[in-house]
Amino acid sequence: MTLHRQLRDFAVAAAFAMVIASVAFIAVRNREVIERQFDLADRSTVAVAEDREPLPTVHGAIVGPPTASRAHPFLRHREVREGGWRTLEASPLHPDDKLFYDAATRFDRDRQPFVELLRDGSGRAVAARAHGAREIAVAVTVPIQPAHYPLLVMIGVLGLGAALTAAGALVGGAALRAGSFAGVAALAIPTLLWGSWFAAVAILLIALAVTQLQRAGLTDRLATGLRAHRTALGFLAPAGVAMLVLVATPFLLGLVLGFYDHHQGTWSFVGLHNFIEILSGNGRALDDPLNFWFTLGVTVLWTTCNIALHVSIGVALALLLSRKWMRGKGVFRMLLILPWAIPNYITALMWHGMFDGQYSAINSILQHLGVHGVSWWTSWLPAFASNVITNTWLGFPFMMVVALGALQNIPTELYEAAAVDGASSWQRFRHITLPHLRPALGPAIALGSIWTFNMFNVIYLVSNGKPGGATNILVTDAYRWAFERGDRYGMAAAYGTIIFLVLLLWNVLGGRIVRAKGDDA
Amino acid sequence: MTRQPRLATRIFAHLAVIVLVMVVLYPVMLVVKKAFEPGRDFALSPSPIPTTLTLDNFRGLFGTQGSHGEYLFVRQALNSVVIALATTVVGVFLSCTAAYALSRFRFPGRKTGLTTFVVVQMFPSTLLIMPLYVVLDKLGLLNSITGLVLVYSTTAIPFCVWTLKGYFDGLPRELEEAARIDGASAWLIFRKIILPLARPGLAVTALFSFMTAWNEFILASTFMTSESRYTLPVLIQSSVGEFSSQYGLFAAGAIVTSVPVMAVFYVLQKYLVGGLTAGAVKG
Repeated sequence: MTLHRQLRDFAVAAAFAMVIASVAFIAVRNREVIERQFDLADRSTVAVAEDREPLPTVHGAIVGPPTASRAHPFLRHREVREGGWRTLEASPLHPDDKLFYDAATRFDRDRQPFVELLRDGSGRAVAARAHGAREIAVAVTVPIQPAHYPLLVMIGVLGLGAALTAAGALVGGAALRAGSFAGVAALAIPTLLWGSWFAAVAILLIALAVTQLQRAGLTDRLATGLRAHRTALGFLAPAGVAMLVLVATPFLLGLVLGFYDHHQGTWSFVGLHNFIEILSGNGRALDDPLNFWFTLGVTVLWTTCNIALHVSIGVALALLLSRKWMRGKGVFRMLLILPWAIPNYITALMWHGMFDGQYSAINSILQHLGVHGVSWWTSWLPAFASNVITNTWLGFPFMMVVALGALQNIPTELYEAAAVDGASSWQRFRHITLPHLRPALGPAIALGSIWTFNMFNVIYLVSNGKPGGATNILVTDAYRWAFERGDRYGMAAAYGTIIFLVLLLWNVLGGRIVRAKGDDA
Repeated sequence: MTRQPRLATRIFAHLAVIVLVMVVLYPVMLVVKKAFEPGRDFALSPSPIPTTLTLDNFRGLFGTQGSHGEYLFVRQALNSVVIALATTVVGVFLSCTAAYALSRFRFPGRKTGLTTFVVVQMFPSTLLIMPLYVVLDKLGLLNSITGLVLVYSTTAIPFCVWTLKGYFDGLPRELEEAARIDGASAWLIFRKIILPLARPGLAVTALFSFMTAWNEFILASTFMTSESRYTLPVLIQSSVGEFSSQYGLFAAGAIVTSVPVMAVFYVLQKYLVGGLTAGAVKG
């Protein structure tokens, strides 16, 4: 029994340790491979630049300055000196020509010697440095086979660890715990040999944790718990794993990256700098569209305006459509939910087209009504209004359908009784209809406000933040930090973290309000 | 409701609804008109009735060629279909098992699990775009259909889990208990009893997963770098640019891509609302 338990705990700990060891192996191996490739490429460019042969296996040559092509003046040609001079071309005869051309162009942009990995995952490195005033020495290494995973070593170490654990269990007493520790710690040996201190320490910590957990009896309790709920956990496992890999990992990465700054491909740790820059507004005035508080204000205004319009239009229509004397209810309902059925990016583009330009559809209608055409994107209010109009058109059917469903569930007897008691129509609405709408509308409003808060497509495609970013909401602003304002990924990540906290707060408060209302209803 | 209001009130109510129906229909009619009308500008006249009819826009759309002479629309439509179907399969499988566990079993961490799904759903994937970009880049899944399917499934799971959990909660437990007494395993019960009963719920989650993938453009245009890997929304969105807009192509593309989803939506819409509110109310 003891042996069984010890081996069980060893197996679990070993699984974690193996993951760490494998990651360490891949990281170390890649680093060595990359360093070797970089070194080869760099030394070859030095050799080529001094008019010597490149190192064996490395393809190196001198590339000339760009010249305009005679047939197509907008194209640039470069020549390469391989034996004699010839033109670089994209042909199967010379597969490296494109690499040479790109490297030379890249070098001309910065005029700095560089060495980097090719982006195709082949593990080839390319380097370039100056040769004379205008010519460039370029070298490309051959693809490299990564080292094999040391499967035999790993199996051997696992066997050793299991043996140590079993020995400890058989001897018993103090050796029991020593066996547990030594068994897991044995897995740290190969990581030490690869020079990965970090992995070795992590595995030793796992070993320590196992012995401590065993002493507290937690591993036994955990095992019993897992066994008792194994069906449930089995059902939960696929989604759990997927969420762990696809949500938790990027989410945690996002949290971490918020503390870094990204500049031209390199990350540097900047502590709280991004957060401070965002929250302090970075010296921008409060009415500057790039100020975080301005954007937050726009977002809150945007969400409340939309929800108010969605709910009031939706409920009003639902009340009308639930009257007995209303004709053509089914047809009206089908037509009115049309906006919900249309993909929202198409809705947004469609409304963008209706607003855009001096002779747009909306402006023509306004002119028929005697109003002068509006330039929708040049000032804040029309731009914001165009977003709200689009999103209202798109969002009211959801509230209407929810309200219709709730109204259908109200027993007619209640109204009849109220009519007998002489209640006015307002009193009936206030004391019968509204309390019955609340439990359905509450969650719908909570859901709708989150959708609206995050409604990237409408803002991005209708006003696109115009004028000058003033109609951006938080999500579109975060996107712009990442992809439209100089690749400031760290800034965007910090922004994401802040938005997450705002949303959490919004929802906690919103949930409180909905629940409180629901209780007194 | 016991007595009818005055005739004038009734007429007014009908008129109000009709006006709103017209507001709803007008933009859609403009798009339909644009799709069958020549020219690239959107609406030079506010009338929703086309004056000249042509199929040029559809021809232009289907005939768009990429840099290698391949037919872009066909290619991207194929991408969209494959990605959306794969997302549906992955999303529905992952969420129906999880939802069943959360609906029928009591285990420590269940509440936390439910809350996690709510919190995740609140957090739009647009915000994870940057870390996701880094992760996909490291995994070599940028510009790959697999990468996009994985990301879309993630987006769909939390909502699907909530909807399905609400649906499962509403199913009677007697059948399961009877089956358990007869010695059926949990997996057998789930497959033979629960899944067939939950067909409408599954249809809704399938529709939702499908629409998530079918209607998304920002992740697709960020993660995919070559034209031949783009999906339809990227194509349609790129036809309406800052400086040159081809509304004819947009309108034709909009009709071709939205009509199939709209048809399915209309078939399944009454379940959609039920699922939404059931999932939300019963928490």
